[in-house]
Amino acid sequence: MNPRRHGRAADPGLQPERTTLAWNRTLVSFVVVAAFFLRWGPEHGAVVVVLFGAALAVALGIWLTQRPRYAQRTETIARNLHRASVGAPLLLGAAVVLLGTAALVVVIAL
Amino acid sequence: MTENDSQPSTQRTGLSARVLGGGIEPDPRFTLANERTFLAWIRTALAFLAGGVALEAFAGDVFPAPVRTGLAIALLLVGMVIAAGATVRWIRIERAMRHSLPLPLPWLAPILAAGAAVATGVMVGVLLFR
Repeated sequence: MNPRRHGRAADPGLQPERTTLAWNRTLVSFVVVAAFFLRWGPEHGAVVVVLFGAALAVALGIWLTQRPRYAQRTETIARNLHRASVGAPLLLGAAVVLLGTAALVVVIAL
Repeated sequence: MTENDSQPSTQRTGLSARVLGGGIEPDPRFTLANERTFLAWIRTALAFLAGGVALEAFAGDVFPAPVRTGLAIALLLVGMVIAAGATVRWIRIERAMRHSLPLPLPWLAPILAAGAAVATGVMVGVLLFR
């Protein structure tokens, strides 16, 4: 991040930084859930690798988009062009519901 | 600054336009605060998922198997309801802000409270009276 470009007081509340940190905490939560799924291994078998991988994939997806997200937001706020991002919240909500559904299937059927 | 800079909402197309439903792009502070609140709800949902997973994984001898699995399923379901509700709430807040309307009530909060209370109550009850 170029401080000359992004460090000015266009946003004294550090909104992109706080929001990026909130995404980071969410990322860590997904890693924790992924690790918990591994403990199902002894009872539910190798299928837990799918649950583990799915939760970890969401975490990886957040991780890979953090830098572009932060850069895009500091840039658009500084230029007064900021818009709500729609895709990320919808994808994340769907991911949690799907993850829960998969976990239910494993608990009930396998 | 051009005309487009002050009215960025006019350029929205496709999915964004359908989800957000017109209106004027609010202050970025409010948009991002809404996103952080959504993320906090998602982490709450993940905590319920993790609770359900942990109960099923670690509480093998503490509860009878049907009770344990039943509680785990209930916790997973609460987590999913919270995740879905958080997404709907994020959309409703975003729409309300774009039209300067009052924010919707957090009906997720009583679900969260009830889910936590029932799960805790059942666990305590089973531990005491098994």
